[in-house]
Amino acid sequence: MELISLIRKEENIASMKRVLIALCVGAAVLLAACGGNTGATNPSTGGPSALTPPAASLTGAGATFPAPFYDAARFAYNQKFSQVTINYQAVGSGAGIQQLTKKLVDFGASDVPMNAKELTAAGGADAVVQIASTLGTESLAYNLSGVSNGRLKLTPKTIAGIFLGTIKNWNDPLLAADNSGVTLPNQAITVLHRSDGSGTTYIFTDYLSTVSADWKTKVGTGKSVAWPTGQGAQGNAAVATRITQTPGAIGYVELAYVLQTNMAQASLQNHDGNFVIPSPEGATAAASQFLAINPTQFSIVDAPGKTSAPISGYSWLMLYKDQTDKTKGTALVDYLDWLVTDGQQYAANVHYAKLPSNIVKDDINSLKTVASGGSPLLPSSVTAPS
Amino acid sequence: MSRGAAERVVPTPLVASSHQRRLVSGDRIFGVFAYAAALLILVIAAVFIVALVIPALPAITKFGLGFFVSRTWDAVRNEFGALVPIYGTLVTSAIALLIAFPIGLGAALFLAEDARLRWLRGPLSFLIELLAGIPSVVVGLWAFFILTPLMRDKVDPFLQHSFGFLPLFKGTPTGYGFLTAGLVLAIMVLPIMIALSRDVIRAVPRDLREASLALGATNAETIWSVVLPYARIGITGAVLLSLGRALGETIAVTMVIGNTMQISASLFASGYTLPSVIANEFTEATGNVYLGSLFYLGVVLVLVTIVVNVLARLLIWRFSGAVRAAA
Repeated sequence: MELISLIRKEENIASMKRVLIALCVGAAVLLAACGGNTGATNPSTGGPSALTPPAASLTGAGATFPAPFYDAARFAYNQKFSQVTINYQAVGSGAGIQQLTKKLVDFGASDVPMNAKELTAAGGADAVVQIASTLGTESLAYNLSGVSNGRLKLTPKTIAGIFLGTIKNWNDPLLAADNSGVTLPNQAITVLHRSDGSGTTYIFTDYLSTVSADWKTKVGTGKSVAWPTGQGAQGNAAVATRITQTPGAIGYVELAYVLQTNMAQASLQNHDGNFVIPSPEGATAAASQFLAINPTQFSIVDAPGKTSAPISGYSWLMLYKDQTDKTKGTALVDYLDWLVTDGQQYAANVHYAKLPSNIVKDDINSLKTVASGGSPLLPSSVTAPS
Repeated sequence: MSRGAAERVVPTPLVASSHQRRLVSGDRIFGVFAYAAALLILVIAAVFIVALVIPALPAITKFGLGFFVSRTWDAVRNEFGALVPIYGTLVTSAIALLIAFPIGLGAALFLAEDARLRWLRGPLSFLIELLAGIPSVVVGLWAFFILTPLMRDKVDPFLQHSFGFLPLFKGTPTGYGFLTAGLVLAIMVLPIMIALSRDVIRAVPRDLREASLALGATNAETIWSVVLPYARIGITGAVLLSLGRALGETIAVTMVIGNTMQISASLFASGYTLPSVIANEFTEATGNVYLGSLFYLGVVLVLVTIVVNVLARLLIWRFSGAVRAAA
């Protein structure tokens, strides 16, 4: 039932968006007719939001994980700057990278930054700028009668055991040792995982590889892995539904799905040994532990820190450093600049976390390298808000 | 026939009327159009196969025919094999046909032969066509939310209780797996099975039935030894079309098969099918070998469909040949 209301909500947003896009297109046509295309940006005086982007139509494609955030942010951006039309297709990270490489879209999105091989295909490591756009965290949701939300405590060892298939029953002594005061039933554990390739799986298997040597050698990290146990379901929503349907089930899902469907989620032991319930704040706390994040060193799982949520990760946006169309390029960097600064406030509504300030700074510096015909598109006066 | 053809190609010797000339050129245009249409089908098929094989080449060169017997599907280590999904595809389709064939034929016979509940025919036929028109994703949703809990709590425990000694019904039922997927496929192919069989059974000439009845055969005997043998080829066609749909069905199966890369004798176990793997993994597949392996699975699916179709035809020809010889 919750799933249905979720879907409906998305539909409402979608139809609102359609109306808005129609309005934007109308506005853009009007503006063009009046010759009101400003072309250049005003020098920034009061932070990045003071930029006025030129009229342009931007397309992007890629990851589904951050799509709800991109949609919410785009909606807010268009209320401010209706002259920029942004069309984002959540077709999956792999497809997003391919479309960017073939220059079919203006920006790509992926949960895992493009690797050296993919960058070579796109014209070399220097051809593409990759910025972190948002931050998400994952929960382990479960279905155990009598064990309410947050009561189940899991450690890195037991999580790895469950997903490796070595812990098969809820009354396993290893689980009982961490959960004194909670009666865990004598019930088989049904492990659920994603069947489709996904960034969610990448972050989760990255976590398992970090905390378990066994996992690292036997399975490894990837958007799609050879699972030692369990069943697969397509998408976060289906995994969430299957957990609610199946007594004794456990699975990893994005935090947003847990919160929106009121599922029970486990309290997870982080690197410092504290048990935390995953939250956007926990994700930000985890991310702020890693100062030097870049497209090759981007893992923030199992972060130190008292309140860090252990299974967190960034999502990335990619664009070409050399923009052939100056107007379009200007609109694109203006939008992305807004997305990583002012746009971050729309993350909380959809249960994503704000980027830490050091990452915002890195992002803006990266965006300043984007140029058209040799001249940078983002004014050098733009800085990260302190 | 030959006279008609002669009249058409040889016009009146001296002057052909303009009307006739127009007819002849019309024939020619139609002929060219028909040939072109037939040729287009060939071209489409060729382009399709080439478009499937070329992207599959990185995987074909790396794994070769070993792809067909390898159980590994590991995107992390870039090792791929198709045995598990081939098994799943064949098992679920077999279950589907085992369920759908007797039910479908029975329903078709009722609709075509039974005169007593004639008023039911109209509404039933309408319902069957309606059933055939339900998009598979809707069937999948229904199966995901309604059928799987029912299988897990009622049907599977019953089967286990009654036939648990068979390896087919061992293990813990979760509601997701070969049996549920086969059942969903059976539901999806039933309308095709019924509608086509009904039409071919109806097409059996009245004289034959009457002759059989006049010789003293009962209704059942007439159906068994006159109607069904006559409609045999049409029914074969119905089975093959159903099979084609079952082999290729993607979304509804993906929702209930459990998506586990394993081969298990138990029908309660979860597994994988060829179309499900492709649908699940292509969006995030990066790298030539990984993407190539998914295309290779597509090639395998086409091959499996062809092989199964040929086998089914051979089987039925043999079988019907034996029947004729015995009769």
